[in-house]
Parts: sequence; C-alpha cells; structure tokens
Amino acid sequence: MTASGLQDSGVTSPTPVAPGPRARGRRPFGTTWVGWLFVLPGLLGLLVFIVVPMVASLVLGFSESTLLGGTRMTGLENFERLFADQQFITSIVVTTVFVVVYTPLNIAVALAVALWLRTRLAGSGWLRVVFLIPALSPMVANAAVFRLILQQDGAVNGLLATVGIAPVPWLSDGDWALVTVILVSVWQSFGYNMIIIGAGLDAVSPDVLAASRIDGAGPFRRLVSINLPLISPALFFTTVLTVIGAWQTFAQSYVITGGGPGNSTTTIMLYLYRTAFTYDQLGYASTIATILFLIIAAFTLVQVWGQKKWVHYD
Amino acid sequence: MTSPTLNGVQTGRPAPAASSRRRRPRRGAFAANTAAAWAVALVFSFPLIWTFFTALKPANEVFGQDIEFIGSEILWSNFVDAWVEVSFGRLLANSLTVALISTALSLVVATLTAFAFSRLRFRGRDAVFLLFIITLTLPIEIAVIPLYLGFDAVGLVDTWTALILPGLFGAYGTFLLRQFMLQIPVELEEAAKIDGASTGRILVSVVIPLVRPALSVLAIFSFLGSWNNFLWPLIILNSREKWTLPIGLAGFSGQTGTQWELLMAGCVLTILPVVVVVAIAQKQLVAAIGAGAFGGR
Repeated sequence: MTASGLQDSGVTSPTPVAPGPRARGRRPFGTTWVGWLFVLPGLLGLLVFIVVPMVASLVLGFSESTLLGGTRMTGLENFERLFADQQFITSIVVTTVFVVVYTPLNIAVALAVALWLRTRLAGSGWLRVVFLIPALSPMVANAAVFRLILQQDGAVNGLLATVGIAPVPWLSDGDWALVTVILVSVWQSFGYNMIIIGAGLDAVSPDVLAASRIDGAGPFRRLVSINLPLISPALFFTTVLTVIGAWQTFAQSYVITGGGPGNSTTTIMLYLYRTAFTYDQLGYASTIATILFLIIAAFTLVQVWGQKKWVHYD
Repeated sequence: MTSPTLNGVQTGRPAPAASSRRRRPRRGAFAANTAAAWAVALVFSFPLIWTFFTALKPANEVFGQDIEFIGSEILWSNFVDAWVEVSFGRLLANSLTVALISTALSLVVATLTAFAFSRLRFRGRDAVFLLFIITLTLPIEIAVIPLYLGFDAVGLVDTWTALILPGLFGAYGTFLLRQFMLQIPVELEEAAKIDGASTGRILVSVVIPLVRPALSVLAIFSFLGSWNNFLWPLIILNSREKWTLPIGLAGFSGQTGTQWELLMAGCVLTILPVVVVVAIAQKQLVAAIGAGAFGGR
C-alpha cells in the first residue's frame, strides 16, 4: 500500500541518496533544535499520557489509594490480598477461557472466510465490506443488538424454534453466557483479521500455486504446504495482536451480560473497572492492572520467542 | 509488516498428468458459490438487519417467537422519540464534535512528529523513535487509573479536554505517516530549499500534499477510534449532557424496562455513519488494514 499510494501522486523511482557531496557546512536537514521543535508535541503527549501513566500504574499497585482518602504506600499488601481474592481468581479463569477459545476461533474464521472470498464468486469486494463493518463499528452498539436478539424470547431462539431447536439460555446461564460473549466477539472482530490475512494471501505468488497444481497438489495440500507457510507472518501478526486485545476484553461483558450471571463473564478488565470506579479502590485496581500487564507481556514474549518455529519470513 | 515473498519456485518432480483432472469452473458452480457466500453474509448481517427493523416496531412487538421483520405498523416516529426523548440527537452531536476535534488534532500531532522522524536530522532522533515503537506494543488501556487520578488532580474530570487528550498521541499514526514520508525523494526537498523555503514551508507545500492519501486513511481511523471509544469516556465523563453515543447506549441499555425499540433506533444512528464511511472508503481502508498499519483486533 505504501508504495502505490505515493505513485498515485506522481512520485516515482527509488531515491538515489547521495550523502557525500552535500555541503557539510550547511546542515542539510535543518538544525537540531528545529527537529526537536517538530517532535516535541508528539513526544510530550506520549510521555504525559502514555509512558508516565504506565509507570505510575505499576507504582500505584503497591499502594492503597482512593479518590477521597489519597494514596498511601502499602508494599506487597495488595498482592497478598489479590491471591486470596476469589473474584479475582474467577476473572482470571474467565478471561483465560475467553483468550484460549476466542483467539483460535477468530483466526480460523478469518482465514476460512479470506480463503473463501478468493474463490470464484461475484461481489467478493462487497462481501469483504459486509464482514468488516462490525469490526469498525462501536462495540457497544453491536453488544446492545445482541442483548436484544439473545433474550430468552428473542429473535435467535425464534429462528432456532423454526428448525425445532429448544430455546438456548444465551444470557441467563453462566456457561452459555461465556459462550455468548465469545461468539459475539468473534462475530464482531474477525473481519479485521480477515483483511490482514487476505492481504497475506494476495501476496502469495500465483506461479507457486500453479506449479504445485501441476505437481498434483490438491486444495488441502496447497493450503497446508504453500499458503499457510507463506502467510505465516500475517498469522503471527494477527495472533499476537488478537491475544493482546482478548486479555483486555471489556465492552462485550459490560454491555451484553454485565459480567453475569454471577461472575461468569466478569473479565479481568471489567473487575478492574469495577474495583476502581465503583468501589473506589484505585490502588488495589492498579495491582490488578499490573498482573494483567505481566500476563500480556508474558504471552507476547512467548509468542515472539516461539515464532522461530513456525513463521517464515521468506 | 513484511509481506511474504518468494525467492524461487521449486518443482522437485516432473509434472504428472494431473492437469487433466483440473476442472474448468463451470457456470453452475460459480453461481452456487456466489449464492452460498451471499447467504452466509446475510446470516452474518442478520443482527444488524434485525436491529433496523426492530427500531421501526411498536414497543409491544419487539419480542415474540415468530420472526417477523415488519410489525403491525411502521413507526418512523421511534427515531424521532429516540432523538428527542432519549436525547440521541444530543449524543450524536457530542460524538461528532469530539470525533472531529480528535481527528484534526491527532493529524496535526502525527504529521509534525512523522515529519521530524522522516525528513529532519537531530541528535537523539533514533532514541525517541524507539520510544514511539515501544509504546506500540504496550497495552495502554490498563493505565486508565493514573490517567484518571491525573485529570482529577488538575480538576479536569468530566470535561471533553480530558476525554480527547489521551487519544491524540497513539504512535500508529506517526508510524504510518513516517513510512510514507520516507519515500519522498530528497530532490524535491532540496529544490524547495534552493528556492528559499523554510522547514515549515517544506512540510506544508511539499510533504503534506504528497502524503495526502495516508492522511485521509489516518483521518478515517482517528475518527472511527474516537466514535467507537468506550472505556475512557465511560470513566471520565459523568454528566449526561457531555456523554458520547456509546456511553449513552450503554446507560440506556442498562436501565430496567429498557425501551428496546428506541435503543435499537439509537444503535442504527450509531452504526449507520460507520457503514457509510466504510462503504465509501473501502479500498483505502482495506489496503491500510491489510498492511497492518493499525494493528489488529
């Protein structure tokens, strides 16, 4: 995309960079302070609104902090309390199940639809848009829609009844509620990964596929031995980012189930939010944030480390 | 993101006579495949289609075992009620204002920063750029508590300033624009310099016109990001008259005795602008997402 965008504007040919002949006395790219001037707004914002809060969050985790009562450092107290906190442990279990089921399902559906849209059919461009729209529209609106159609006497159970399936307690049974949150999340988000994986498939050379066909490889063989290895960078990229997002799932639980029934769909992020802003325990909630950060960092590092085994960059 | 490329084609064994097995896709198969794909797309879109029709129904016909898209009467007045009674008009105006301000400001910030990283040389540039790259990998949503405390300390809780500011400095925009700016030939810049143009002038007259495609994609993403934002506005906004659409929807949907037909009208008002934007800019959006320019989901 990068290249084509610029070529549209009439800029062509790679730049012959010749640093040598340029006069050393006159600085070619402006003086030092000019550069800092341009980078300053972005840098200050990044420090004030991203870097400092991230660090402060880690520090607050070791404190007792409330809006009215101020902040007092308490050492490891929060961590001790956390590991005995049944609600926190439940939220870890719920979120782990979510991540472990949601991520492969999301990638699998995204891959399947991306492959399907590459077969011969009419209107694949518009189909792609249809599948992408939920991923770009507000999660809250999507979630509200599902809260309506998944009611006991809602449209989905109505549809199931027409084929003779008994009503499903999508929202009222704890186990089903988690299934619901996972399915809605896949519905909402897979279109995004479908586009990234589709772009990876577009880059697979047709010559290779033709050659493999001549060699007698069937569709399944072509998928496993050629397409998948060649798009492994795209699969890696989408998996890492999907996992990071999945650990922070919030809006779906908040709107569709409110975390219930019981705590059956209370994710870590929802528990963090309630602890901080419903119960005004900002220090304790920051401890939850620290644990969540460590979990995400660990998962990301393991994936980055493990990619050597399956990701091929050429 | 690196796209996979292939260095050489390896054909190990001689081609067997398999090509005879290759079927030319027949017209029937083509039609069946098309029909199946569109059927799946229709089922996929059922929730959104149902929403639209629910928004037009009388209140007592929202639920029921029979699947009927059209109720006993079509009440466009639900949209008026949602607009006036539940003040979706106000929420829509708020969301639009916030999104437009956010988009404009984040474009300015990203352009300046990307210009410095791609076209200017200064001491410490690479270190600062590395810092930007590192923040791309951080789950910044978990830092909402210190952000809240900070805005509380300076008395900005429940203001749009506090709502907008933290969203302006994500590094994705800078990163995307920098990639584009790096490709502009030095000669253009030097020609402008010989004509006596200042650094600022070069940015405005040479660089920005050349990266306009990237700027428009970035604008769409900034807009959608703000339009869809939920967690932060939920935390920082208290008063109803400042709420944005997602917060209004969540608040309205949490009430007991939800007026579903009005809530669905609100959902239509929230999702429809997105559908329009995506339909219009689909090519650019698909290209940018496919390039991994905005992370993943």
